[in-house]
Amino acid sequence: MARPRSTAFDACHAAVPAMLFAGVAALSMLAVHPVLVTFSLSGALAFSLVARGAAATVRGLAWQLPLLVLVCLLNPFFSASGSTLLLKVGPRSVYLESLAYGATMGALLVATVLWFEDAAAVLTQDRLLALAGRRARSVPLVASMAAQLVPQMLGRARAVRAAARACTAAGPRPPARDELLRTSTMLLSWSLEDSLERADAMRARGWESGSPRTRYRPERFRARDAVAAAGIAALLALGAAGAWAACSSWEFYPRMSGLAPWWCYLPFALLALLPAVAELAARWAERGDAG
Amino acid sequence: MSALEFRDVTFSYPGGADVLRGISLDVPEGAFALLVGATGSGKSTMLRLVKPEIAPAGELSGAVRAFGEDVRSLGPLASARAVGYVFQSPDAQVVCETVWHEMAFGLENLGVPEPETRRRVAETCSFFGMGPWFRERTAELSGGQRQLLALASTLAMRPRLLLLDEPTSMLDPLAEKDFLAMLFRVNRELGVTVVVATHAPEAMLDYATCAFELAEGRVREVPLEEVARPEPLRAAQRQARPRGPGAPGAGCGAGSAKSPRADSLQGGCAPDGPSGGRFEERGLIVADDLWFRYDRDGRWVLRELDLDLGAGEVRAVVGANGCGKSTLLAAMAGVVRPRRGRVRNAAATSQALLPQSPKALLSRETVRDELMEWSHAGGYGAREVGASLAELGLDAAADRHPYDLSGGQQQLLALEKLLLVRPRLLLLDEPTKGLDRSARERVAARVARARNEGATVLLATHDMAFVRAVADRVSLMFDGGIAVTEPTEEFFKNSWLYR
Repeated sequence: MARPRSTAFDACHAAVPAMLFAGVAALSMLAVHPVLVTFSLSGALAFSLVARGAAATVRGLAWQLPLLVLVCLLNPFFSASGSTLLLKVGPRSVYLESLAYGATMGALLVATVLWFEDAAAVLTQDRLLALAGRRARSVPLVASMAAQLVPQMLGRARAVRAAARACTAAGPRPPARDELLRTSTMLLSWSLEDSLERADAMRARGWESGSPRTRYRPERFRARDAVAAAGIAALLALGAAGAWAACSSWEFYPRMSGLAPWWCYLPFALLALLPAVAELAARWAERGDAG
Repeated sequence: MSALEFRDVTFSYPGGADVLRGISLDVPEGAFALLVGATGSGKSTMLRLVKPEIAPAGELSGAVRAFGEDVRSLGPLASARAVGYVFQSPDAQVVCETVWHEMAFGLENLGVPEPETRRRVAETCSFFGMGPWFRERTAELSGGQRQLLALASTLAMRPRLLLLDEPTSMLDPLAEKDFLAMLFRVNRELGVTVVVATHAPEAMLDYATCAFELAEGRVREVPLEEVARPEPLRAAQRQARPRGPGAPGAGCGAGSAKSPRADSLQGGCAPDGPSGGRFEERGLIVADDLWFRYDRDGRWVLRELDLDLGAGEVRAVVGANGCGKSTLLAAMAGVVRPRRGRVRNAAATSQALLPQSPKALLSRETVRDELMEWSHAGGYGAREVGASLAELGLDAAADRHPYDLSGGQQQLLALEKLLLVRPRLLLLDEPTKGLDRSARERVAARVARARNEGATVLLATHDMAFVRAVADRVSLMFDGGIAVTEPTEEFFKNSWLYR
């Protein structure tokens, strides 16, 4: 995985970006409105380009754009409503409104995926886990162990399969199903064996020693973070109100109508563009410091 | 006061014979003590008895004291504070996903308040120079770094006694040196008493202040000079094989000269060497201008690599960690496809690869089934397997799970499994990693026998004594290519680094 390159959100407590990205993603999922979706998609794309880089973004779009087009084209076949007839495919009528609705839904889907990818670039797993409450004793630990286990098992599966492929003297390779069974059995006993030693290593360092555990967090929640969080919360509330107003007046069928006044979209647009703008601003502030 | 004291300690596993018999020893405070002995001699058992929370179940009599207190009267909390324990496996003993969390793990368990945790983590990381990788994910660390992390995260709890069980046996020589140098600083600068259990004490002799030898359940203090006995490994001598002479100018030495040291290894094959037998100079497997990298944007792991291996040869590939030895073996085996260049392998249909971890090869429930797995393709049966088991000394363990064997036995089992199908080409990746002397000798002897029976062997290793014992020629790998290839004796004679 490429290293996350965000600077704006590295320098604040994880709660701030967590709140921002969770809020924006949630609003994006609920707001089925062409204008709002356009803002959401542009904001997500802009941040992806800035923080994840063009290469990673383009690699993602390679499957996301076809998805968008597919949803857009399929919708008319499921809902034949609307008033502007574009063409007839067999017994089906394709209306402009129906296509537009499909396009909106497709864009919404892609925007949501992009927001999650953006969030993952900023909030690495350890930052997210550090957000868990003080009382969550072993959940973050279990999650972090599971997260390590997956790449380790994949690496070992590669080693097992490579060894099997290299041993041509052992005759032809077994059918895929048998090989899968063999590999998974081996990985299971291998991991179990490891877990015995890991359990000992944990106990040797005082795990379950009876004293209440403390939590070490390398990040501290500062006044600056509180201000940012409050600002984001206010903006989220405004954005939600605006989006609600915009969506409730808007209708796709039978004719697209009911555009709300411009200031209903403003808070949502600000929210969607905030990550990219904040990132660019942070880089601008640090220009010249790094290559 | 002694940091660690055993008084008449006798221990046996449930229903088993005594592993430790009336052991008494004293490790003075501030010492760097070695605990030597072969695999299975009870070193780990002895160390674990000092930490009741990981002590094996069994019958224990006598007293084990740390700083004058019986360890069984210490609670898990006091034990974790007073006595640190570092395990063998760099993979298994790291618990958390990130370095910073791993450093804090023990302190969190002890309930150390956050400001104090912050301080201890900072101090320990500064001492170990871990700043640059403090925020890395543990999965991305090298084996040496992971082992160093295990040491550092234990020390963050500020134990006064540190026990280490074969801490460097899975590391390459360079990482081992780094680790030991750090351990030495811990001992001298922080005043932590160190007890290291090891079957390869040579690298630690410069640091050690005393040594104890554990054999047949008894322990005795041995002078450090006595611990240092770098004898060559023993392996079977190359035998002359009934086959025609090699290519012109090929082979090395002639006939079946039986030197007086016929059984003292030196399978070397200098053209003027005394060893018997011959091998072809080239032709069985030829790599021509190989280039390989894992990612399109990654660095080249193999570059401009040429290698020519003759039938019947034992070729050792040596070189620093990460120079591409394992990748080379995989490329020769056809498991990875070179980006450029090609491999011509006349034995492609009759080859076998021993991966770095034998566990990647062991797939059955019992030792016997393990050896039987390929009997169909290999054209052998229960009789041959029985003979192999007898030779491995695993008769009694035939119905046990392979994982219940020691690391050395697992390695020998995996090797035997490969050799039962009589491959023409045998590829070995670090076959002696983590093994004690006797297991290394047995691997060497088994490889020598396979060679005498006509196999060609290509092996990657850091173990120079093993190279001397079995290899005909040595290739030094550097920067993805082969820097030099010479007959073994000549290679070591001309080498400045490898002796």
